[in-house]
Amino acid sequence: MYVGQAIRRREDERFLRGRGRFVEDITLDQPIAHAAFVRSPHAHAAVTHVDTAQAAAMPGVLAVLTGADWTAAGHGEAEGVWPVKDMSGADSRTAYRPLICVDGVVRCVGEIVAMVVAEDRHQALDAAEAIEVAYEEKPANTITAGALDPDIPLVHPAFGTNEVMVTEHGLKEETEAALANAHHVTEVVVPTNRVTAASMEPRAYLGHYDRVNDRYTVWTTNQAPHIVRRYFTKSLHIPEHKLRVIAPDVGGGFGMKLYHYPEEGLVLWGAIVCDRPVRWVGTRSECLLGDTHARDHHTVGRMGFDENGKILGVKFETLAAFGAYESQWQASITNAYHFTMLSLAYDIPAIHTQVRAVYTNATPVDAYRGAGRPEAVYQVERMIENGAQEMGIDPLELRARNLIPPEKFPYQTALGITYDSGDPPVLMGKIKALADYDALRAEQARLRAEGQWMGIGISAFFDMAGAGPVKMMNDLGAKVGCYDVASVRVHPDGRITVFAGSHSHGQGHETTWSQIAADRLGCDIDHIDLVEGDTDRVPMGIGTWGSRSLSTAGMAVYTAADRVVAKAKRMAAHMMECAPEDLDLADGEFTVKGTDRKLSFAAVANASYHSGDRPSDLEIGLEETSFFDPADCTYPSAIHLCVVLVDPETCAVTLRNYWAVDDVGTVINPMVLHGQVHGGLVQGIGQALMEECAYDAESGQYLSGTFMDYAIPHAEDVPSFGLDAHFTRALGNPLGAKGAGESGTIGAPACICNGVIDALWHLGVRQITQPMTPKKIWRAIEDAKRTQH
Amino acid sequence: MERETISVTVNGRAYERAVEPRRLLSDFLREDLRLTGTHVGCEHGVCGSCTVMMDGVTARSCLTFAVMADGAEIETIEGLGSVEAMHPVQQAFWEKHGLQCGFCTPGMLMTAVELLKANPDPSVDDIRDAISGNLCRCTGYQTIVESIQYAAKLMREDGP
Repeated sequence: MYVGQAIRRREDERFLRGRGRFVEDITLDQPIAHAAFVRSPHAHAAVTHVDTAQAAAMPGVLAVLTGADWTAAGHGEAEGVWPVKDMSGADSRTAYRPLICVDGVVRCVGEIVAMVVAEDRHQALDAAEAIEVAYEEKPANTITAGALDPDIPLVHPAFGTNEVMVTEHGLKEETEAALANAHHVTEVVVPTNRVTAASMEPRAYLGHYDRVNDRYTVWTTNQAPHIVRRYFTKSLHIPEHKLRVIAPDVGGGFGMKLYHYPEEGLVLWGAIVCDRPVRWVGTRSECLLGDTHARDHHTVGRMGFDENGKILGVKFETLAAFGAYESQWQASITNAYHFTMLSLAYDIPAIHTQVRAVYTNATPVDAYRGAGRPEAVYQVERMIENGAQEMGIDPLELRARNLIPPEKFPYQTALGITYDSGDPPVLMGKIKALADYDALRAEQARLRAEGQWMGIGISAFFDMAGAGPVKMMNDLGAKVGCYDVASVRVHPDGRITVFAGSHSHGQGHETTWSQIAADRLGCDIDHIDLVEGDTDRVPMGIGTWGSRSLSTAGMAVYTAADRVVAKAKRMAAHMMECAPEDLDLADGEFTVKGTDRKLSFAAVANASYHSGDRPSDLEIGLEETSFFDPADCTYPSAIHLCVVLVDPETCAVTLRNYWAVDDVGTVINPMVLHGQVHGGLVQGIGQALMEECAYDAESGQYLSGTFMDYAIPHAEDVPSFGLDAHFTRALGNPLGAKGAGESGTIGAPACICNGVIDALWHLGVRQITQPMTPKKIWRAIEDAKRTQH
Repeated sequence: MERETISVTVNGRAYERAVEPRRLLSDFLREDLRLTGTHVGCEHGVCGSCTVMMDGVTARSCLTFAVMADGAEIETIEGLGSVEAMHPVQQAFWEKHGLQCGFCTPGMLMTAVELLKANPDPSVDDIRDAISGNLCRCTGYQTIVESIQYAAKLMREDGP
């Protein structure tokens, strides 16, 4: 069995030898021209004049294109993959992110106004600088919290409001009653900071048009190439069969590389206009500004407890930032992944949530690793922590009293979602032992007596991963079918190529999909190759996002492999003159049960293609495809626990220890699993302690445009992690696998923030907004002192 | 723009090329020599993906002009190890899952090689300190630290 083994990754050698092939590395027969963009320097302005004459005459310039040219060419926009759906019945106010400014108004810093295509990158940049754009500045708002207040400038005045839509879910009356009758009510204002994925590889695109054969090709830093192909039918109106989208090696995605971005469409447009391949590679500043941002919720929550600390009900009112436009998958957060998961790992009888999505003059917000669930966990866990502290109940003990007990699974939450399997009390027991919790509390008391500030943070949650099923996700608003696809092609020599609709950009599918296929096919893993990321080679695919690939594409590999085996057994049975049911397949050989009669898989493969002697109703060839629609989402769960030390002199936070116990169902490769958890944790730590997409409130200018200003964790900023696991099988797929990609980012921000609050509670500190920089911690302590005096 | 002729040795091979004075070493390596293993992640010297060895010490090729490398010996990821055998650092990153997407990996490996030359038995803190100029967004660093410790062990066992 390969499944379950920590096999080293089959894709690694090319990266270790510098032979990875990223979009920026691609060469073509023709010389590749380069694109550069003119972007709005203003958060909100009318574009009154664009003068391209000087730029067009500069050396090497092939074309200068503006929104007027886009409109004249009749091109469209990147419509929503997961568009807004207003639950109240009112019309939602949709304004999709334009590829280039077409209506004479720019609504956030960085919006593209013009494109230059030139022979080389420097010429393109020089010419872009020579384009003169006249702007008439308008008042702007980049802040989510007050976006619906009177007198706040409107991002889209035609709508008459900054509100995109309102959604409400859960049990309104029951929740109000629970809060009214509660022994204790905790209220916390919890803004979730705006962050961005900041993958190490900047976004990059290469477009090519073969005029003679009328074929288009786009190489893209993308996680879902078939979805990109679908949305080129909307932007450039290219039929799907004419366009090949290739996502080669991609240097990290984290959800951010899921979209049909403006530059992607514009690069192919440039290639068509100039009759030359055109490439754009984002600078880090362009990426920090133009990559989708994430989170940016502003939530007021109230949680009611009985006298024993049992949660009776919880109510949320959230403003969720959209930014200046609706990005393609935005509503997957507000309409699917946030509200559904607000019960976390707790048995809460009454929950009600209202989300009002708002436009602001900021970069569009969309999914980033966790997408809605980090916000949900932060919102709920901050209230549980403060409630426990206020009631004088040990925070771990209060949580333990509220965990969903194993006998309640499948467990339907107050929001109507049903967790198929899990055992939170076991996870809690394991993390308590792993961290030696009682000893930590004793240490905390000792240190506090010495004037040192140590805190213990906890978070416990469920994740909704593995999207579909198709019907469920359609009902939640998806306009793409959330299944996935794999073909298993057995070659006549018995070797195998697997084609999958997922896309690996660090996840290791060449290893894990091969582990699954090799077990099903009873063959050596080295006899299998994987193809992903090419719409001309892979039949169809929905891509890699939302911790879905294993339970959709991985399951499609599993299913297609089983179909191949069933067909091969019929051929083998014919050749061996027995019944297919009498055959076993292992180690590359068919064996007749109870005998020593053997026939190699390779001989059967060869006969499947080249022998006329076969069952009359058995088609030639040995290749099967599965479009796999799972029976359910998967619901991984985890509990995190950390120790923080806050320096009383500098207010700097040291994250001393971090433990996580995960339930991800069946594990294909524990080494890959640990890598996923580690990476997610560090991104979550970044959100808690250092990362923020910051805007100047007055001017709307973006302040986080370099890696000197947008701080992502370095090796010195994070500890080594202590991981443990307890696995319950997922019921929605035969592998029993749950998603594993997002646990770290979902649980860490809440866990760390609770740790810092725990460290400072005795000083009167009740809430600190993230990222919890020394300055904010110092300010919170000073404010607490003032309040107490 | 006027070009200047430079002579550089890259991975043991001598090159003579005319370059614009504003040409970055990273662009020179990637575009003129087609050595695309060196990656550019931020072009302002923070992420460390573009790290190469210049006359035996690490350099940020995105902050170095190609003309500054005139007469220098450069080593890039393509020069690490041989066709037959990987360098112990490469081997260790493979065994210990020290990479995911592979984009920061070349710079991380060059930095690790420099550390292990200076310190054959580094502690976890030494390693975290040494790689603090190289950003990785996938691994969370723990497996990178373990990879470098394992590489040190392999190199100590193999001898110089």
